[in-house]
Amino acid sequence: MRDKVVFHVNGERVEFIGNPMTRLIDVLRDDLGLTGVKEGCGEGECGACSVIKDGKLVTSCIMPVGSADGSEILTIEGIRDTPKGICITEAFRDGGAVQCGFCIPGMVMAAYALLEENHHPTEEDIRMAISGNICRCTGYDLIVKSVQLAAERGGRLWQ
Amino acid sequence: MAVRNYIPETLEEALELRRDEHAIPLAGGTDIMVQHREGIGIAPDVGKPVMIISNLAELKGIRRRDDGFVEIRALETPASIASSDIVPWHVRQAAARMGAIALRNMATIGGNIGNASPKGDLPQPLILLDAEVVVASVGSERRMLLDEFILGSKKTALRDDEIITSVLIPEKEFTHLFYRKIGTRRANAISKLSLSAAAVIRDGIIEDFRASSGAAGPKVIRSREAESLLTKRQVSEIPDIADDFIAAWDRAISPHAMPRYRRNTTSRMLLHFLEALQDETLTGIIG
Ligand SMILES: Cc1cc2nc3c(=O)[nH]c(=O)nc-3n(C[C@H](O)[C@H](O)[C@H](O)COP(=O)(O)OP(=O)(O)OC[C@H]3O[C@@H](n4cnc5c(N)ncnc54)[C@H](O)[C@@H]3O)c2cc1C
Ligand code: FES
Ligand code: FES
Repeated sequence: MRDKVVFHVNGERVEFIGNPMTRLIDVLRDDLGLTGVKEGCGEGECGACSVIKDGKLVTSCIMPVGSADGSEILTIEGIRDTPKGICITEAFRDGGAVQCGFCIPGMVMAAYALLEENHHPTEEDIRMAISGNICRCTGYDLIVKSVQLAAERGGRLWQ
Repeated sequence: MAVRNYIPETLEEALELRRDEHAIPLAGGTDIMVQHREGIGIAPDVGKPVMIISNLAELKGIRRRDDGFVEIRALETPASIASSDIVPWHVRQAAARMGAIALRNMATIGGNIGNASPKGDLPQPLILLDAEVVVASVGSERRMLLDEFILGSKKTALRDDEIITSVLIPEKEFTHLFYRKIGTRRANAISKLSLSAAAVIRDGIIEDFRASSGAAGPKVIRSREAESLLTKRQVSEIPDIADDFIAAWDRAISPHAMPRYRRNTTSRMLLHFLEALQDETLTGIIG
């Protein structure tokens, strides 16, 4: 039986002692101060809280921290200053993808997870990849174009 | 928090917790965390001990067994099921259409069955294929048809000392396959209606015919009565049988919300499949 949860967040080892049903988002935001992880719906519907767990996109509002035991979690803070993260965020800026910005950390994580698996996504691939991320402002087209831009500009970065 | 929650490290530990405390298994948590949501900063409280089994390696894996079954362990996700080339086609179709990407990475087949929602997407194709579930308790195991395991809406035959360990799907070749999920446009919206159908046609004879409807009653519906109208008959007889078949199917389903819409859409999809069976140029996946 595990008496604590041990996992890595953005490369740093984290030990969590307490109720393993605590939502991962609360540990990330409140205990670790990673406030780039946003809470929108709290029910897995909007994608604002998206993080990457062992290479796969997940919604941290409906994941208990106990499920993260032994895993590697990446949040927007963990990719922001990496070449890939910079590539995506600059493409979002240059492509005009950002309005109020609330959905953007989740969108960037979804784009990152996509580009890691699929270096040359079609428009359809991109729309599928962000279909769980709701944006109230932009109407998505500029976000889709920006992900395309990140794929083109990044080139070898994604291989 | 009144109750303790656990993270067992082995299936054996989990089964002991299940026997001793009847702890509720949490696999992906995508149903439990939403159903027992308390709000920002507060851990969901199920009111009973929960055991988080998400990382039990013994409950992972998809493999082809040598007794003619494909085995999917309980913790496999829609994402891994959809991308497996050994999982039968209908099940892959249903898995690929669940939620959006993050949901498909988190949800599990065991949780989809354990939740037994009439809107759950995986039981429908699994019941079409006569899939079985394996449930384990300390020192024993039971195996039964999924159609018998799911008793009704949100009700299963799972005992409070048991855990679902795997799903077994008999491998079978069909000459004609059909799957359709009709949902709303939102990626994370669950089924309004779904239908699978499959047939084996050889030398103009319908050797096997089956269909299953999801979200059209308290549980997945298969009608052996309707199916038997078509099996072992000639393809050329379909026009004479179609009306009786559609009527029998319509009697079998009992859609709750929007019954007219669901009945009409189901009948239309079944007729489309029956028409395809009569067209010799069409085999394989019927679009
Ligand atoms: C945003 C969103 C979108 C969704 N979209 C869909 C959709 O398109 N289609 C669909 O079918 N569902 C959908 N769902 C519902 C849910 O994701 C599925 O039912 C999922 O398969 C549940 O699996 P889980 O492992 O996450 O369940 P959990 O929440 O972990 O468990 C669900 C139930 O099953 C029991 N259980 C879990 N594992 C076992 C086991 N091994 N043995 C015994 N009992 C067990 C639990 O105790 C609980 O009662 C959606 C949910 C959300 C939040
Ligand atoms: S806040 Fe997690 S999906 Fe909306
Ligand atoms: S930019 Fe405002 S929600 Fe997407």
